[in-house]
Amino acid sequence: MALEVVADVARPRARTRWRTAAILAAAVGLGAGAGILLFNTSGPPKDRDITIYAKQYSFEPPIIRANRGDRLHLKLVSLDVVHGFYLEGYDVDAEILPQQKNALVRHPSQGDQRVEQEEITVVATQTGKFRYRCSHTCGALHPFMSGELIVAPNHSLHGGIGASLGLLVGFALVVRRREPTAAA
Amino acid sequence: MTPGSQPARPLEAPEPAPAARAPVKPAKPIRDWPGVDLLDRYPFVRKVLKWRPLQFWLIWPNVLFFAAFLYAGLFGSPVGSRNVMIVFVWIFWWFLLIALLVPFLSRAWCTVCPLPVFGEWLQRLRFVGVRSGEGPKKQRTRMFGLNLEWPRALQNIWLQNLGFLCLASFSALLVTRPIVSTFVLGGMIVLAVALSLVFRQRAFCMYLCPVSGFLGLYSMTSTLAVRVKDPTLCRSHKEKECLLGCESGYGCPWFQYVGGMTRNNYCGMCFECVKTCPYDNVTVFLRPFCSDRLLKGYDEAFKAFIMLVLALVYSVTLLGPWGTVKDWANISEVGNWKGFGLYVLAVFGLCLGVFPALHLAMTWLGRRLANEPKARLGDSFVRYAYVWVPLGLFAWIAFSVPLMAVNGAYILSTLSDPLGHGWDLFRTGSVQWHPLLPEWIGLVQLPLLLAGLYVSLSSSWRIGRELYADSHKALLSLAPTWAFAATMTVALMCFFVG
Ligand code: SF4
Ligand SMILES: [Cu+2]
Repeated sequence: MALEVVADVARPRARTRWRTAAILAAAVGLGAGAGILLFNTSGPPKDRDITIYAKQYSFEPPIIRANRGDRLHLKLVSLDVVHGFYLEGYDVDAEILPQQKNALVRHPSQGDQRVEQEEITVVATQTGKFRYRCSHTCGALHPFMSGELIVAPNHSLHGGIGASLGLLVGFALVVRRREPTAAA
Repeated sequence: MTPGSQPARPLEAPEPAPAARAPVKPAKPIRDWPGVDLLDRYPFVRKVLKWRPLQFWLIWPNVLFFAAFLYAGLFGSPVGSRNVMIVFVWIFWWFLLIALLVPFLSRAWCTVCPLPVFGEWLQRLRFVGVRSGEGPKKQRTRMFGLNLEWPRALQNIWLQNLGFLCLASFSALLVTRPIVSTFVLGGMIVLAVALSLVFRQRAFCMYLCPVSGFLGLYSMTSTLAVRVKDPTLCRSHKEKECLLGCESGYGCPWFQYVGGMTRNNYCGMCFECVKTCPYDNVTVFLRPFCSDRLLKGYDEAFKAFIMLVLALVYSVTLLGPWGTVKDWANISEVGNWKGFGLYVLAVFGLCLGVFPALHLAMTWLGRRLANEPKARLGDSFVRYAYVWVPLGLFAWIAFSVPLMAVNGAYILSTLSDPLGHGWDLFRTGSVQWHPLLPEWIGLVQLPLLLAGLYVSLSSSWRIGRELYADSHKALLSLAPTWAFAATMTVALMCFFVG
């Protein structure tokens, strides 16, 4: 350590900076990787029936937790006015009419053609958090009416947490190493 | 004493920096950042900035837009997403402000802000020109109105903090009901005009405007800064046109003395000092991100807390999936006063009680770890509150990304149909709502939060090194606060992607 410090003084600044950046990047990468790998678990895929009730300005259940590979059979019910159900990442958009069993479903990537369907089946192939948003203006707080489908394993979250911790630790290490020279 | 004997606080006079009281470290030079003198490099820009009508020409189109928005709020569709007032102010303007203007152009918004300008025109009785002559407080320009001094006890940003919290409590109404926006923004104009007749200069902007508080705080990070090239020249120059005005411009409307200015916080970027300085000593610097790192009081520290906590609160109430909280916040429609009371209590309690207490606990712990009895707790409390400045700014940017991506389509549709009356001015009126690349939002937010954490760590490290001569002690004193910052980053990640 002491030897290194002496060597440090002689080194040009740019090099120290690059090394710092490299250490930090490595710490962030390691943290993210560790987070993803450690929590790379999800239960066995299942078939699940879920009824989602829409009312001004939220969905019930507000959060659906699923595992990768789950087949979700969604029934949509409106408890008050006309609502929408736009599921991000899964190319599903539906219109939910009050007092109707069937929803008017479309796939946004395929245009505006809507089909009446009692049930929407979604296979949870993509992991992470996907919001379902009301897509039919239903009142004042309509733009904020949303729910969450969280498909495990949630790599973004675990990677993000790992990266933050990696950054924290990496930064502390970097300043601890560098400081004796900078103080000189 | 400088001429014009300005109020202690806003005048960025060389008051003893907290660092001076804490264990040994020499006073900082006026600029500890490498900057590029933009006006030196591009003399044309100096010409433009010295051109008196500049601000007028920048502002009046903005005034027209603003009048149109106010009108739309009153007579347009009550549905927020169909009304230009809501869509342009709370989605477009907000995003522009927080993601671009503040981090890159400092308080450039205040250059063009339509809120206080009627008051300022009234005080000056001119749109563009200068009425030179005996003015109040040794000013060399005449000013209409009573020109009273703002009460000393209120020469801080506490009123801004409280006003902002009050507005924040009603934000679910403010950002969804066009008419509420009209009354609040219109009310701010009325208030600004009234104050301009009673108090000197831009008292409204300095002490009341709820936007001003966070503009000031986050402009500390900005890559642009108005400063003097040579502070020693200022010290020997007795006339102080920048402070008192002259034929070519007004004394700083923001009560600032640019010769001693070391922070962006209260510089409204009106560029009067560029116009008045006879030596062209005032210039605009391009500088590294987060160059101002000195928080100067509890009011500013609390502003940093408030902003960070509100980013979290809104992530729950507005972006979150929980209907109960939305019902509480949505008081005018639901009328659940108990729930609303609880919500308001939570907002105030978290911002003014819980979070500051946690921050205090962390700084206290840090001081214990560093074991430096001479270090004053108050100093580290205020100075380390800077941790929340870059983190808060990035949290807000991350928060605003989905706001823009998801609701951006409304910008197109209201452009053609601003009042929600079914017009189609630019053939974009029928653009359907669709979120823009929603699957990617999280992948934009994560790096933003990480960047915020990194900048927080690195800038607070410099602060720690200013407070503690011994680097090991600095690290120990910061460790708890850093852990807290990382925890908050993780909390935000949980809301955004978890
Ligand atoms: S402080 Fe507020 S009112 Fe004044 S110019 Fe800035 S935003 Fe406008
Ligand atoms: Cu709805």
